[in-house]
Amino acid sequence: MENIIEVKSLAKYFSDQPALENVSFNVKKGETFGFLGPSGSGKTTTIKILTAQLAQTDGEALVFGVNASNLKKEEYRKKIGILTDNSGLYSRLTIYDNLKLYCDLYDVPDKRIDEVLGMVNLIDEKKKAVSKLSKGMTQRVTLARAFLHQPELLFLDEPTSALDPVNTKHIYKGLKDLKEKGTTIFLTTHDMNEAETLCDRVAFLNNGAIQLLDSPKALRQKFADHTLTVELTDGSKVIVDKGPGGAQTVYDYMSGNKIVSIYSNEPTLGDIFVEVTGRKLA
Amino acid sequence: MTFSMKRSMAILYKDYKDVSKNLYVSTTVLLPLVMAAIYGRMGIEAIDTHYMVINMIFSLVAAYVQCSLIAEEKEKNTLRGLMLSPASTLEILFGKSLLSFISTIAVIIIAAFLTGYNPDNVIIVGMAIILSAVFYIGVGTLLGLLTKSVMEASVVILPIMMIFSFGSFLTPFIEKYPVLKFIEYLPNLQLIELANQVEAGAGLADVWFHLAVIIVWTAAVFALVVAVYKKRMMD
Repeated sequence: MENIIEVKSLAKYFSDQPALENVSFNVKKGETFGFLGPSGSGKTTTIKILTAQLAQTDGEALVFGVNASNLKKEEYRKKIGILTDNSGLYSRLTIYDNLKLYCDLYDVPDKRIDEVLGMVNLIDEKKKAVSKLSKGMTQRVTLARAFLHQPELLFLDEPTSALDPVNTKHIYKGLKDLKEKGTTIFLTTHDMNEAETLCDRVAFLNNGAIQLLDSPKALRQKFADHTLTVELTDGSKVIVDKGPGGAQTVYDYMSGNKIVSIYSNEPTLGDIFVEVTGRKLA
Repeated sequence: MTFSMKRSMAILYKDYKDVSKNLYVSTTVLLPLVMAAIYGRMGIEAIDTHYMVINMIFSLVAAYVQCSLIAEEKEKNTLRGLMLSPASTLEILFGKSLLSFISTIAVIIIAAFLTGYNPDNVIIVGMAIILSAVFYIGVGTLLGLLTKSVMEASVVILPIMMIFSFGSFLTPFIEKYPVLKFIEYLPNLQLIELANQVEAGAGLADVWFHLAVIIVWTAAVFALVVAVYKKRMMD
């Protein structure tokens, strides 16, 4: 499958302090790729390099096959949607007026405004001034602006960090719809549930370096301890091996009608991150 | 390189809506008109006095309002959104300058009416005023790009306003302090000199030098604006 992003040995130093070191990864067309890491791990720095907002110190960053620093051309800008910490809105203007400006800048028909506001659950608020919105609503408007022009590639930096669970679910649905339409999504998050829900592959970033990169399922299997937990009717829990010996034990409990539930002891992405880096995701 | 007027107009329309809800900026635009009305009542004859009002409009409306508009875009992280859009540097800078330009010209016309200034050659003086407006908008854009907030911009613009609004007060010192000779080449003084010559019957052939000096200032300031703008596109 075609690579939309190719990063090779990327490094960024701020006054001799490494923010990124020897980072390499590819993002395939149509994929949702998650960059997982705690604050200060280099996630935003990576997005800024990939969107031509920051120059790398070393290495190569290709987006759509061209050097990321060349993405300032109109043809590439139209293909990219960006939500970062510096995506501001005009606070005195209404949601509609904010999005109308971007419709004109991206040559998008105005009717698209209602479509994206529907995706972020703000259709009834479009005449409201941005200054009157809550933090979560403002975040949803910036998200709507990021995919207003139906970009081929969407960069999202902590897209649901300020949202409540209901709106987070709404955004997840919107992002899944975009993915179904073929949009490639590069998202950073420190929310492992978000990564599990949305991402085809995740990279664990810690202290500016990638520690692990694979699909959430493959990572869970890799770090699983190959045991099952069996909850019994007397309230006790028994851990059994997934091999033939464990199968016999489970069979015995089932024959005696003693089992309440059985589940596989797979770690969460958060557990794996802590195991690999010794740091918590926060 | 293509130029999309639609994008520039979209930025102008956005600025118009934004500024109409921003009392701080909209009252600044009215300030020189109050001064013009007072001078008009007093009945002024000297060209220098007319141009004190006009230079004040340049400083307050063209430079200061423009500086505030750009600084606010930076402060609220909206400028980066424009920079990351398909709009080119020219489309953004042109669009961001239109409101200040239209306001400046409109305020100058109203102020000239209030003070009773009626130049002998409207075309030459009009050209010089338009060029000067572009220069001051360039100064405002530059300072807006260099500062981090509207508050900082309000402070930084003060010395510029002093030099360009009241620079003519320094001319008596030029003979005493030759080091101040460069003051004669400031665009505000070139404009006053041009206006005086026009009133004395001079034509375009007689005042081309003053126009050329203003053009050089304008070109220089916009070269700086583009350089700083390109730097601001990156962190």
